[in-house]
Amino acid sequence: MFELIKNVNIDFLGKRKLASMISGAVILAGLVSIVLHGGPLYSIDFEGGTEIQVLFTESTDVEAVRSALSDIGYGDAAIRSFGNEDEFLIHVKTSTKSEEQVNTIREALASIHGGSYEIRRLETVGPKIGKELKGDMISAVLIAMAGIVIYISIRFQFMYAIGALVALTHDVLITLGLFSLLNMEISLSVLAAFLFIVGYSLNDTIVVFDRVRENAKEKRHDSFMSVLNISLNQTLNRTVITSLTTLTVVLILLVFGGEVIKPFAFALTIGLIVGTYSSIFVASPVVLAWDENQKKKKNT
Amino acid sequence: MSGPLRMRVFLVVLLVGAAAYMLRDTISYYTMDETQKQTLIESGEMDDIRKNIIHKGLDLQGGMHVVLEVDLEELIKTRVEDGDAEIDALISNSLEEAQNNETEFFPTFAKNVEATNIRLARYFPIYEKGPNSDVLDALEADAKDAVDRAEEIIRNRVDQFGVSEPTIQRKGAWRIVVELAGITNQAQARELIQATALLEFVLVQEDPQLLDEVIRNIDKAWAADMGEETPEDSTEVVADTSVDESAPSLADILSGEEGDSLSITGTGDVGRPFSSLINVGSNTIWVPEENVRSVKRKLTKPTIAAAVSSDSKLAWGVSPRDITGDGRMHRALYLMKGTAELTGDVVTDARESLGGFSGAEFVVHLSMNDEGSREWTKITAGNVGKRIAIVMDGNVHMAGVIRDKIADGRTQIEGMNDLQDAKKLAVVLRAGALPAPMLIEEERTIGASLGADSVAAGTQATVFGFILVVIFMAIYYKGAGLIADVALILNLGFTLAVLSTLNATLTLPGIAGLILTVGMAVDANVLIFERIREELRNAKTVKKSIDDGFNRALTTIVDANLTTILAAGVLWQFGSGTVKGFATTLFWGILCSMVTAIFITRTIFMVMTERKTMTKLSI
Repeated sequence: MFELIKNVNIDFLGKRKLASMISGAVILAGLVSIVLHGGPLYSIDFEGGTEIQVLFTESTDVEAVRSALSDIGYGDAAIRSFGNEDEFLIHVKTSTKSEEQVNTIREALASIHGGSYEIRRLETVGPKIGKELKGDMISAVLIAMAGIVIYISIRFQFMYAIGALVALTHDVLITLGLFSLLNMEISLSVLAAFLFIVGYSLNDTIVVFDRVRENAKEKRHDSFMSVLNISLNQTLNRTVITSLTTLTVVLILLVFGGEVIKPFAFALTIGLIVGTYSSIFVASPVVLAWDENQKKKKNT
Repeated sequence: MSGPLRMRVFLVVLLVGAAAYMLRDTISYYTMDETQKQTLIESGEMDDIRKNIIHKGLDLQGGMHVVLEVDLEELIKTRVEDGDAEIDALISNSLEEAQNNETEFFPTFAKNVEATNIRLARYFPIYEKGPNSDVLDALEADAKDAVDRAEEIIRNRVDQFGVSEPTIQRKGAWRIVVELAGITNQAQARELIQATALLEFVLVQEDPQLLDEVIRNIDKAWAADMGEETPEDSTEVVADTSVDESAPSLADILSGEEGDSLSITGTGDVGRPFSSLINVGSNTIWVPEENVRSVKRKLTKPTIAAAVSSDSKLAWGVSPRDITGDGRMHRALYLMKGTAELTGDVVTDARESLGGFSGAEFVVHLSMNDEGSREWTKITAGNVGKRIAIVMDGNVHMAGVIRDKIADGRTQIEGMNDLQDAKKLAVVLRAGALPAPMLIEEERTIGASLGADSVAAGTQATVFGFILVVIFMAIYYKGAGLIADVALILNLGFTLAVLSTLNATLTLPGIAGLILTVGMAVDANVLIFERIREELRNAKTVKKSIDDGFNRALTTIVDANLTTILAAGVLWQFGSGTVKGFATTLFWGILCSMVTAIFITRTIFMVMTERKTMTKLSI
């Protein structure tokens, strides 16, 4: 038998203090960054605005594009090269009606090399629709979380639901924080990735809980803490292997999937790593803490 | 083999067969070349094929997704007469308030009107006089009508773009979503959605000799055109006729062309490429639906278009009709006067209603302003018995016979099949008269080149990811890993088969969902295999270990995967556009992975352990 991890007996729960300190520090750093940035950095999907990915057929630099846009009053446009050489991503805030905006930008671009450019992608979202999308997606994340708590409460017990919920919140907060620290935008597809993370992280957590449930029946004389530890160790191989295969494909997506999908693939990568970590070091310790707390209440 | 096991194997074979069958159209569609596609399009078979395939999303094939919203500010301000600062401020503030609070405009406006003692009827004399609430209702109905008109205008025009399967959808009361796949000309597409339409009233040429002459001229020009055609072009034309059995002469002409080119340019007795594709009845050309595409394409060629004399023009009817009564649909092609008698700006209103001789027919009441009424009286008086066509942006929506002189500008149009038809015609008539100001609230345009790049990158990532996972499983679990690999391949096949049958759209995030499914699909097998290993370690027999491994892993797999499916379901419900594609592939991918991992791999194991008692398992 070819095994990655043999006969392990790691005291995961003994390290719960260290783990909570690490998690706390990363979450705090992320939150500080979000506060300093004045909230998460939203893409045009939620904020409204126009994004144009343009490819010039002649050699062009960022400065040429910037000066052409400054001439029409878009001096504050964010311009960066994107993928290929001579390919740029232009980001402007919505001020007037988006139609007029797009037309003036087209004219400005045409002035650079006499029109030798191709608009590869153009996305413009009005502030109104942006707001609505934001509302929709936030309710999606909340509804998914509520559904999950209900599901686990029915299939397991309420305390497991709390453990899973804390782990999920942990994952989403860390990913949000990292996006803020790295100055990356939250777009529709990134939020979709968050929802996937919610599902995946839970998948991992439930596999552990399922084992805990089974072991709790069979090993009645062991302490709850050791039942948790045994279960974590028994499922460790599976946790690592599934995370590895999934991480492999996500990394391939990040590297080969192209520029457009990069933020999405990045969110998935971070979420996968954090999700795997949280199912071991967050969900079970929370269940343990809840259990100990309940017992204390009973005794007093 | 035992009975139940035989049943299992039979089911597996059935599933695989069904999946292969479901995938057939998708595979053939994406492997055929352009000429084959063109042949199928013109034979009409493509419509059936396209109902069973996975479509490429706009982000993969290039295209335009536009959300239009009625420009309430523009609309209301043009309705105001004798406006002053007070009403202007009231409108602007209400618009702003509605946007900031994400509430509907009209309730907000009503509330703000309430707070003042403005009398709205003073500013909106175009509506019937009444209390403020009546005027507000009229204004709201007016705004809703503008969305109807804009939608009708866009539907009317979108045909001209040759876009395959344009979608035009209403979203809520105020928005229209237009999706144009594979458009190359963005400027043209933008023009399409700028909603002002040209409505005209044009007399139909009722002289049968004139129609005959035009058909003969087109035949000549068409035949001459074929003589100059590149070989590639002419194969397309042959394809047309191979479908239309009633018109074999075109193929004959083509084959005759090489031998005797003189006859083509001759009197037209031999070269009748146009008239062989059409029927003529009651002074109208009727083109069978399957020939419409090729005829349309030919008629736009300058040399052929010139065959129609300058005082006449040809225009297509919008709705196909079964004129022969045998289920074959035909589109009308009208020969009309070159200039319009009247344009739509004289129309003041058009409403559908019940009327006619019996009082129970579906009719449209059309009213015109004074100037229009005077013209209309002259036109109708001079052309009783002739047909006059209602034409929007070049398309004929109706060609009705003038029964009598109409003196007061109030016209009743009869002959609609149902209320829906009447309603549609009324909207068309209003669309030509009243502006329907729409704003682009959201636009996502992807160039075809970027779409192609995304397809290439996505395919590459999927293939790489797939191969790596397959190799990993084979190394780590050896024989059992190979079984898992079979399940993985089947999983991908099943997922694509389901997506084909659902006629789903694959987007770039959708491809990502597929890749993730590949990574996660092994999870169920990993859970089972790890459990089997544990049982083997507890010194159980191979067969018992396999049975226990599967049984004990089952609840875990179901519990764990259901949560991901739950998340995908929520995403599907709330997500929009490309994100929905991600949810769809993830949802079906994980569902299929449960079938392949639990049912199919187990069946393979069962078959393996059936005959001989295994003492060693490659896992």
